[in-house]
Amino acid sequence: MSSMTDVRAPAPGRLAPSRRRAPIATLTWMLARPSADSVSTLMLPGIAFAITTALLLTVAGGGVMFWNWPDELNAATYQVLSGLALALLVIPLASLSGAAARLSARRRDDRLATLRLLGATPGNVVAITVLESVMVAAAGALVGVVLYLAAAPLVGLIPFGGAAIGAASIILNPLAILGVIAGIVLLAAVSAVVGLRKVVISPLGVRLKQSAPRMSWLRGLIGGVVVVIAVVVLQSFGVLPDYTAVAVAIAATFAVGVAVLNLVGPWLIWVFARMQVGRARTAARLIAARTTLEAPKVAWRQVSGLAMTSFVAVVGGTGVSFLIEEGGPANELALYVDVRTGIIITLVASFLMVACSVGVNQASAVLDRRDLYVGLDRVGMPREVQEQARARAILVPLCWVSLGSAALGGLLVFPLAGYALIVAPTSLLVIALAFVAGIALVALSLVATRPVVTSVLRSPERAQ
Amino acid sequence: MRRPTDVVARYVDEAGSMNSSASTPLLSASRVSMTYPGTRALDGVDLAIYPGESVAIMGPSGSGKTTLLHALAGIITPTSGEVVVHTPHGAIAVNALAESERSRLRREEFGFVFQQGLLIPELTVVENVALPLLLAGRTRATAEAHAVEWLGRLGLGGLERRRIGELSGGQAQRVAIARAQVTGARVIFADEPTGALDSVTSTETMTALLEAATEDGRALVVVTHDDQVAARCSRVVRLRDGRLDVQAATTVSGASA
Repeated sequence: MSSMTDVRAPAPGRLAPSRRRAPIATLTWMLARPSADSVSTLMLPGIAFAITTALLLTVAGGGVMFWNWPDELNAATYQVLSGLALALLVIPLASLSGAAARLSARRRDDRLATLRLLGATPGNVVAITVLESVMVAAAGALVGVVLYLAAAPLVGLIPFGGAAIGAASIILNPLAILGVIAGIVLLAAVSAVVGLRKVVISPLGVRLKQSAPRMSWLRGLIGGVVVVIAVVVLQSFGVLPDYTAVAVAIAATFAVGVAVLNLVGPWLIWVFARMQVGRARTAARLIAARTTLEAPKVAWRQVSGLAMTSFVAVVGGTGVSFLIEEGGPANELALYVDVRTGIIITLVASFLMVACSVGVNQASAVLDRRDLYVGLDRVGMPREVQEQARARAILVPLCWVSLGSAALGGLLVFPLAGYALIVAPTSLLVIALAFVAGIALVALSLVATRPVVTSVLRSPERAQ
Repeated sequence: MRRPTDVVARYVDEAGSMNSSASTPLLSASRVSMTYPGTRALDGVDLAIYPGESVAIMGPSGSGKTTLLHALAGIITPTSGEVVVHTPHGAIAVNALAESERSRLRREEFGFVFQQGLLIPELTVVENVALPLLLAGRTRATAEAHAVEWLGRLGLGGLERRRIGELSGGQAQRVAIARAQVTGARVIFADEPTGALDSVTSTETMTALLEAATEDGRALVVVTHDDQVAARCSRVVRLRDGRLDVQAATTVSGASA
């Protein structure tokens, strides 16, 4: 029987130098082909891209539907309102697509470092990264198109203009669908390059940060002053001369609200997190509060889209509910009912995107910190405590942001909100239920990431 | 050196009783084997850990050192054989415990020091050390007060409110040692605790670990490649291809510098 290592055998001859360039496609396939690590390296970003694509196509389809709205009398109104809804959905959608791209880019850092050690040039590494990201994004986007087409009949049940809109109305033409796929793939490629640069600059990321970030109290002061001015201005709603002035005031309210939320949001999260750290009595609460305090801007970015939607849902929902109860011509009433439907759909869509974004970010965070999770499991931290800490770090800022923004909206239109609560309780209850369902949706997305933790903890002896 | 006040009363009682019955091991493994697909990581290992001793597990890479430590600590369940923890309340067969019970055993009976420390970077030094006590249901004030005592004993007084990123490697390892000790754990497991440290810091860290982990009838089990670290332990166990190679006892006076 021959020995595994036979030193008497002649050493293989030295290969002649090659002038050919590194076979990027072959190397990419070797690194990306399905393996035991596929779930973390390929499946997860692929799923994230699929969800992003499906939601983007559905939202765009809805926008195009309103652009072709047959009711000539209200067409302009529908177009403006759908434009507003799309504007509101841009932030959570961008957050979700960014999360998918970052996850895709981060997964392969270790393998790329090894390639560099073996002599791959930085150009080779960038090419492999971009190609793999593009492949994963393209595959995910194609699955997303299938999801979009499959969900269309369900989305088509939503009533607008007094009847269900129908699946066909939100299906984009093939060219537009190709455009969306191309956009997703481009985003993945750009994010891969940007992500790679970040890895090069700071391979250890946030963990070596020496001091926790601090937020200036000036943010709070400026925000507070703006809110007071806005409330005073809005108290003059009743004496505004005509409908145009009211419309301008509403637009100004929206703009001020959005600006204030973006200024004050991260600061408020920081302040609340500090209070939570001081009050924490359990390990889960302490870890969750410290996690939020570590990166208040990141926490804000993840849920900021929700802040604006929540704000608009309360301001707009209150106004529309009030108008519906006031009564009027049938076509106007139908418009108000549609606006209310639009508000609820925008709110739910925002929550859906935040939920997907949270799911992707959490899966990514667990994989990035697998050593720490395994270590905490070894020292005997119960799994439930780890799960509670993860959930609180997301859900507490989420509740602060969504309910805080809703409260701010309610404050700005306080007299109207109070009146609407009396005359149109059902409409406001529906909006409140949308909030509850949305928060539950995000909680579900956290539950969906539990198998990632399970798989990390299942083979601790392999983790080091 | 004064030992920080025990917050778990039973450990105080137990320390006295252990001193009087040093022949009873704290932990014993008999015929422990661990097989992975295509690999036999451990092959019928017998080992007992006694109160007050420090045991170095040595061997070449892939010899099964870390697997043995994981089996002893109940992190993994051996394919065959038995690991028994001897507590003042009786013997506990680790293999027979459910995952949640093993987790509790690790939390209450054992302490861990890893090569990378594995401290939570978002928490302050004192919060990291207090964490096991919070998990055990202690109030935060009690847990942090006790953690401060341990930090002071390990020369980290004044660093309580620092973040982990602000510490040197040696300081971070001493924080990990404090965390491992804070519940009054009876056995401390350390996996290459000095692997990422320079020689001077390594010596200081081992001194801290040996002093803290072997007093009052407690024991230290340390996996290491470093002969100098092993030389400071009271016993060295060598593994080769998953089997116990040599079991040689060095003089106890060489330990706990």
